[in-house]
Amino acid sequence: MRNTWIVLKHEIKTTLAKRSFWFTTFIFPLLILALTLLPQLLAGGAIESSQQSLLAPPIDAGQHPTVGYVDASGLVQNIPPDLPPDLLQRFDDEAAALAALRAGDLLQVYLAPADFMQRGELVVIPSQFSPLVDPSSYDVLEYVLYYNLLGDADLARRVMWPGASIPQVTLLAPEAASRPAGDAGFGISFAVMFILFFIITLSSGYMLQSVVKEKENRTAEVLLLSLSPVQLMLGKILGLGCLALLQMGIWLGGGLLVMGQEQSLLGGVELTSLSPDFVVIVVLYFLLGYLLYAAALGALGALTPNLREGSQYTFILILPLVAPILLNTVFVGDPNGLLATVLSLFPLTSPTAMPARLVAGDVPAWHVLLGLALLAATTFAFVLLAARFFRADTLLSEAALDWRRIRKEWGNSKL
Amino acid sequence: MTTLDAQATVKVSQLQKSFGAIPAVTDVSFEVYPGEVFGLLGPNGAGKTTSIRMMLDIFKPDFGQIAIFGGAMDEAKKNRIGYMPEERGLYRDLRLEPTLVYLATLKGMSELAAKARVAQWLQRLDLYEHRHKRIQELSKGMQQKAQLIATLAHEPDLLVVDEPFSGLDPLNTRLVKQIIQEQADVGKTVIMSTHQMYQVEAMCNRIVLIDRGHSVLYGRVDEIKRRFAGHAVNVTGSGDFAHIPGVLEARPPGENGAWHLALQPGAEPHELLRMLACRSDIIIDRFEIAEASLDDIFITIVQQPRGEAGDA
Repeated sequence: MRNTWIVLKHEIKTTLAKRSFWFTTFIFPLLILALTLLPQLLAGGAIESSQQSLLAPPIDAGQHPTVGYVDASGLVQNIPPDLPPDLLQRFDDEAAALAALRAGDLLQVYLAPADFMQRGELVVIPSQFSPLVDPSSYDVLEYVLYYNLLGDADLARRVMWPGASIPQVTLLAPEAASRPAGDAGFGISFAVMFILFFIITLSSGYMLQSVVKEKENRTAEVLLLSLSPVQLMLGKILGLGCLALLQMGIWLGGGLLVMGQEQSLLGGVELTSLSPDFVVIVVLYFLLGYLLYAAALGALGALTPNLREGSQYTFILILPLVAPILLNTVFVGDPNGLLATVLSLFPLTSPTAMPARLVAGDVPAWHVLLGLALLAATTFAFVLLAARFFRADTLLSEAALDWRRIRKEWGNSKL
Repeated sequence: MTTLDAQATVKVSQLQKSFGAIPAVTDVSFEVYPGEVFGLLGPNGAGKTTSIRMMLDIFKPDFGQIAIFGGAMDEAKKNRIGYMPEERGLYRDLRLEPTLVYLATLKGMSELAAKARVAQWLQRLDLYEHRHKRIQELSKGMQQKAQLIATLAHEPDLLVVDEPFSGLDPLNTRLVKQIIQEQADVGKTVIMSTHQMYQVEAMCNRIVLIDRGHSVLYGRVDEIKRRFAGHAVNVTGSGDFAHIPGVLEARPPGENGAWHLALQPGAEPHELLRMLACRSDIIIDRFEIAEASLDDIFITIVQQPRGEAGDA
């Protein structure tokens, strides 16, 4: 026990002393956050400006008037008071308006035909034509016409943009009151999965590196005279597990902090209101998932002669953890469907799948408990299996790793 | 200060170990006592390292008995052993002092005591100034000395050192030799494996020679040398002494101007003298029976066919 504790402390100290650990703990998530939020911020700006176009089309404040119109319908008698008074310039004929547009005095010209009341059609001629621009964004004269027809600016807005005034009723279970929905739900579900996946694979990867390094450095032989292979394995798994918890705390804590500041980007989701039960469940799934994959990669490290060969097998081992990420839409689309349920109960996928499912929808409590029990049992079995490979002869061996050797070592092992 | 009457620190008997179908050790037996420097010799691949690993409980033998400090190995006994493997084992990317302290604490020392002891050894071996360096930044000789500190820091009662002089300059070789001898002088047991036979002759009281998995020669160095006297001759004269029938190895004249001829097993010095006297292309000025060196004995044993070796 004492030696396991010493190895645990040693793993923590040496890993904390690595720059790569701090890079992945702080710099890498910041990069991911920046790459995730930047497009949203830019898109948010675009949405904002498109909403503003209802009242004020893209105009340069120094270039008044910017919008010309020819009203053959005779409907425009007054300009809404909320528009700048010199925004619109009336032209009596189309040729004069187009001449001003060509001269660069106008950004766009609206033509309201005489039969507008019958056909409801307007023509817009922008100074720079782009077929990809949504015609509905050219709505200034439409607003002016509604204002003149209805005699009230507020009413005109409601007619043009009814969504804001129509009441929508949503039936929601009390426990789901704070659950994000739609795009935000998908984003958070994916983020939770990604964070868990990333930290589990990163921490398990440290386990692989640590074991292989001791083989490559020939330290294993000296260590094996001081402690048993299983003590060595447990010390490493537990030490690196503490660091994985630290990383998860920093990532999730930091993530909640940042997202709390940027709720607008997540549709106003109250992330901080996620229940303590949810946090406990996620931590349990994370810890068991880490132990499972760390044991697997530790066994791989014991068998492989160097990191390069070990890396070739790493992907195969962590593939089950990737599956829920590749199938992420099932958790938001149908969190209680067959596929989401199977992924969240199957022990090799549940460490990322169950938390994602919990974020996306209501999961029966017995699913959560069954998933935990299956994961705990599998993790226990994996630690025992890893111990079978974590032996002096494998740790001191330089033999190449292939399936035949894995089968042979399995045959040689004794519990 | 060898005390063969005392209880053996190490006693191994009829060790056997195979890896799959390949036998690594088939029959190795020896005993090592407190206060002696014991030589564990053999050619590459003979089974020395596997024997050491079984002795230290790193590998389990397929057959045979091992007693360490009078009984089976346990965790407490492991802390009384210092092992310097042939392939050095230190964390290359970590700093020197914390690495040595870590290894010493794994041997049961408190961190405080380990720090103090490591500092003493670093000073003695001229590494104190380099204690904050990463191990990979040290020269090969410095790494070798660092490995020796890792072996000695916890003051083991049994010291197993494999090629302790590898990579050392003459000055450091002398220092390491002195340290090993000091350990034996204070009653510690030292098992030394090396290919440097002159170091074995200078330092070891007794040896075991392992060849192809068998212990083929075992006993006191002076007795073995006596037993092998007559297996070599020194010859002064003119002619080609390099290709003489019955001669296993012919070393060209050294400072004394004499050829050193190690004889093949079964060859007798007087028969060789008669043959040389009959040859017209060779003139002999001086012919004497040489004391066999461990080098000669090693080569004689290792080069003879299996079966005869056991009779040596």
